[in-house]
Amino acid sequence: MERPLSPFMFPSWYRFQITSALSILHRLTGIALAVGSILLAWWLISLAAGGELFAATHAFIASRIGMLLLFGWSIAFFYHLCNGIRHLVWDMGRGFELRHAYRSGYAVLGATVVLTVLTWIYVLFA
Amino acid sequence: MAKSQPLSNSTALRDETVLRRVRQLGSAHDGLREWRLQRLTALALIPLGLYFASSILWLAKSDQTTAVAWLSSPVTALLVILFMLAGLGHALVGLRAVLLDYVHTRARLVAASLLVRAVVVIVAGDSILAVLKLFLGR
Repeated sequence: MERPLSPFMFPSWYRFQITSALSILHRLTGIALAVGSILLAWWLISLAAGGELFAATHAFIASRIGMLLLFGWSIAFFYHLCNGIRHLVWDMGRGFELRHAYRSGYAVLGATVVLTVLTWIYVLFA
Repeated sequence: MAKSQPLSNSTALRDETVLRRVRQLGSAHDGLREWRLQRLTALALIPLGLYFASSILWLAKSDQTTAVAWLSSPVTALLVILFMLAGLGHALVGLRAVLLDYVHTRARLVAASLLVRAVVVIVAGDSILAVLKLFLGR
């Protein structure tokens, strides 16, 4: 049997579990946020440069693709923030019991949805 | 190393003498500094990230004058610089952890780590310069 190296065990070797899915999602959102920080830096640079560069950047952010990227960034941010707090609690040695890990996992998902929805209601309608 | 009682392979992991013989961080050699940096920046990023995220989502649709005025205030300038530094430091540790898991040859790992480090340093430098330019030039 070809045994895989560690992380590629998900679809075929392990049954789906919310806990491992959230763990993978923490990494994916972390990578997304790291890439997003390049765009944030770009936005800061365009602000400092002003003129046409800012106008072009601003038009891109206000476009559908720009808003979609910003929406994705906000989901990734809120998820990584909430799940990061969950990780910090684990670092203090708490919440390791399986039912607690499941409960905090669902809480993280719920908090992500609530924070994202509230934020975008504010951005779009306030 | 002093000769002690022979270790049976099946119990080696649980044998106290093995644990006691591990010096410092054992075979990992390093990582404690990164571990602490990751947690420290994570703690700092809770307030800094919430501040920055709410600010840019609020500014997303505003014009340049509003955004420049926001960034020219000393408190904002400081918080944005701290956010970028903490965020990029956190990203550096995290991305390196991902590379360590998926890049299995030494040369590629070193090359990828250096590349990530270079990008992070450039992005950090750019952001700080941009904020300073607006702050000092107001």
